[in-house]
Amino acid sequence: MVVLVAGLVSIDRSSFAHHGAAAFDMTSPVELKGAVVTEFLWINPHPLIKADYKDEKGEVQHWTMEMGSTVSAQLVGWTRTSLNSGDVVTLYVWQAKTKLPVGRFNKVLFSDGTTMRDTQTGGDDGGRADTGVRQ
Amino acid sequence: MRKPYTGVIAGVAGVLFLSALVAGQDNAQNNAPRSPWKYYPEDARANTGDGGPAPKRDLTGTWAGESSGAGIKRLVPPESPPPLTPLGKQLFDRNKAEGREVLIAQSNDPHVRYCDPFGFPRNMNDQIRSMTITTLPDRTFVLVKFMTIWREIWMDGRALPANVGGRGRDAHDPTYNGYSVGRWADDYTFVVETTGMAPETWATESGYPHSVDARVTERFQRKSKNDLTLTMTMDDPKLYTRPVSLGEIYFRWIPSQTFFDFTCIPSSVQRYLKEMGDPSGDPGAAR
Repeated sequence: MVVLVAGLVSIDRSSFAHHGAAAFDMTSPVELKGAVVTEFLWINPHPLIKADYKDEKGEVQHWTMEMGSTVSAQLVGWTRTSLNSGDVVTLYVWQAKTKLPVGRFNKVLFSDGTTMRDTQTGGDDGGRADTGVRQ
Repeated sequence: MRKPYTGVIAGVAGVLFLSALVAGQDNAQNNAPRSPWKYYPEDARANTGDGGPAPKRDLTGTWAGESSGAGIKRLVPPESPPPLTPLGKQLFDRNKAEGREVLIAQSNDPHVRYCDPFGFPRNMNDQIRSMTITTLPDRTFVLVKFMTIWREIWMDGRALPANVGGRGRDAHDPTYNGYSVGRWADDYTFVVETTGMAPETWATESGYPHSVDARVTERFQRKSKNDLTLTMTMDDPKLYTRPVSLGEIYFRWIPSQTFFDFTCIPSSVQRYLKEMGDPSGDPGAAR
């Protein structure tokens, strides 16, 4: 089931200085619970997370989401091996206004309860401030 | 006979041992071997203060810019909107920079769509997260980390070329980085003049244009060992009614003198646009 999680959104301009956020609905991140990572592309201008998510009808949605640049992502602890194909995780993503299954990644919740976030807030200072998505 | 304090002593010793073990682990983490090949932004952030007086006539070394994790002050962006001439406005209107009104799917930014080089002056005011400055007896080089490019600034007293993009044997072709000459205005201020930049490149991320005759002045002012400030202005009478500011950019000395690799790869950006960038702004885009 896709859950819309309401929250306050604070965007640090530097995180989006390269590519803007205007394409995304930044008011309500979508939760993709039990998503299976199919590919993690550590590329510029933005790393891409590709994941399959089974919706309430049992149909598989093929999602693609972008993060901050590789440089910005490294500042908040990401490496090219932070995600791997086959990982089962919960992904939070601001979906594109086109309603296609693409969007701006917000954070990932791993099966061990740990979380990694994108660079939207405080990336330049190594910050990990939440962006309003509830745990 | 059982000694009544043995258990207490053993317990205290155990606590002390564990405390020492934990402290040792903390120290081990703090003193963990660090690769000289890696950039540690926390080290750059820890390098607070001015580091003492600036050396005279010396900018050499590797510097961190904005969004480098070094806690650098946000740059002053280029003047916007600048005072455009009618021709300048005509050229500006052709450039669809990504922003609030233009999504990446509609942008014609040659860098965003194809990884084309920014060219100068944009390569000094957009994504300038780190640079290295080095010298030869007759030249200074600015090595920009993003896209791994280098600029050549002549200091042998030559004048800037006067006939760039013109006709004839002595004409010079425009180049992505233009033609640059430099001089020391004082012991701490290095001034660079540049002209002859390829006119198809943008002067700023916002898509403001420049002509081949534009003349850009950069002032690199080293205020201390750790602090370097770059101010940029552009005089381009064909396209602007007066000289315009191209921003003020701040840099800090990186103690390790290393930085992340950071570049745009054309095949990667094509994949990004196909799978992410275009579908996010165009519901009809093929994925």
